[in-house]
Amino acid sequence: MTYCFYVCVCFCLVIFQTTIIPHIPLFNNFYDLLIPFIIYLGLFRPAHEGILFILALGFLMDNLSGGPFGLYLTTYFWLFIVVKLVIQYLHARNNILLLFIIVAGVLMENIIFIAGVSMSDPDSQFFAITIRTVVFQILWAGCTGFFFITFLNHIHKKLEKWFNGLIAEKS
Amino acid sequence: MFSKKMVIIVGAVALIVVNIIILSVNSSRYSSYGSGRTAIFFIAPFQKTVTKSVQFFKNIWGHYFFLVSVAKENDNLKKAINQATDKNNKYREVEISNFRLRNLLNFRKTMTNKVLVAEVVGQDPSPWFKTIIIDKGKSDGVEKGLPVVVPEGIAGQIIDISRNYSKVLLIIDRNSAVDALVQRTRARGLIKGQSDGRCLSKYVLRKHDVKVGDTVVSSGLDGVFPKGLRVGCVTEIVKRNSGIFQEVTVTPYVNFEKLEEVLVVLGSPKHDFVSKQ
Repeated sequence: MTYCFYVCVCFCLVIFQTTIIPHIPLFNNFYDLLIPFIIYLGLFRPAHEGILFILALGFLMDNLSGGPFGLYLTTYFWLFIVVKLVIQYLHARNNILLLFIIVAGVLMENIIFIAGVSMSDPDSQFFAITIRTVVFQILWAGCTGFFFITFLNHIHKKLEKWFNGLIAEKS
Repeated sequence: MFSKKMVIIVGAVALIVVNIIILSVNSSRYSSYGSGRTAIFFIAPFQKTVTKSVQFFKNIWGHYFFLVSVAKENDNLKKAINQATDKNNKYREVEISNFRLRNLLNFRKTMTNKVLVAEVVGQDPSPWFKTIIIDKGKSDGVEKGLPVVVPEGIAGQIIDISRNYSKVLLIIDRNSAVDALVQRTRARGLIKGQSDGRCLSKYVLRKHDVKVGDTVVSSGLDGVFPKGLRVGCVTEIVKRNSGIFQEVTVTPYVNFEKLEEVLVVLGSPKHDFVSKQ
């Protein structure tokens, strides 16, 4: 059930990100929607449940993207690890800290991507547009990421409750 | 002397005549003789009340009960307008796509190689990389490395294929490179993508004459893109104090944000190296 939910959410997010978002001018510099999902897995789900899924997701995104292979895999894996480490020391379920983690996650992805691009093309120049892209992504993440994670958590809990009830009824 | 009957008849006739005379006199000018005012004074308030009540109920009927049918009619009209707008929009969309496809067809006729029309179905999930997914793959004869073009110019190159879909690396991606020439002076350079949606023509010799507004076309020497396809126009030139090259910024003719259909050029470009000796 849980994996089914993960697959559905990821499928919807990937489709939305690759087909709808590029056509909306307002979302030109929107952040990677899978980041909040990975943070959610890191914060609220056990490690063994999320890690394989995250690797598969990174693999999928690397296949869809035109960037050097492994960028998404690296980003998602390390983001998951960092989130898992953070919640060992800090009470990350605090709302403000959650917001900070989302912003940090988006920033981390961008840094890894810029580093990846620089590695693949050392001559590449980064213009003001690069900074603008990063700033806009962070702003978007700050504005919407928290609600996104909260919504995911809520839906997942509801689904789990419903599914458990269904099983209990049948047995 | 006169019988009683006779008196009654004469009296009646006289009354009729007087009545007719009074009527004929009154009909020529208005006169109320003061009684009208009194009547109005007493009757008018009731008239007013009744009239107002009637008006009130009439208004209720007119503006409320009757409005139910008006609202229904309004709903129907709205529906009809929506349908008409939708239809109009569809026609407009068909007209636009008809124009676009005709354009594509005309361009296709000018191509010497066999080409395949493909539709863009997805874009890169990251803003850092510029790739698209098209709905033609291995089963349609698409191969890795084939050039992808549109009537406006070069769009990109196939970098990955599956059975029914392919991934195209656009020329505005940092990893893309196209061997190109400035059409006017034949100055050669390597077109590389930049993060701002423009391209940079690298390795253009400083001595070559390049001006803003010059058209840049593919040279065909990279073995990927057919020769003579438009790439973009020169929008900026930077000549540094040192170095043997000049930096030429090229803005692609293709609007990559509005890419819907593309042409995959099947088969490698044929170079005609037969000498005319």
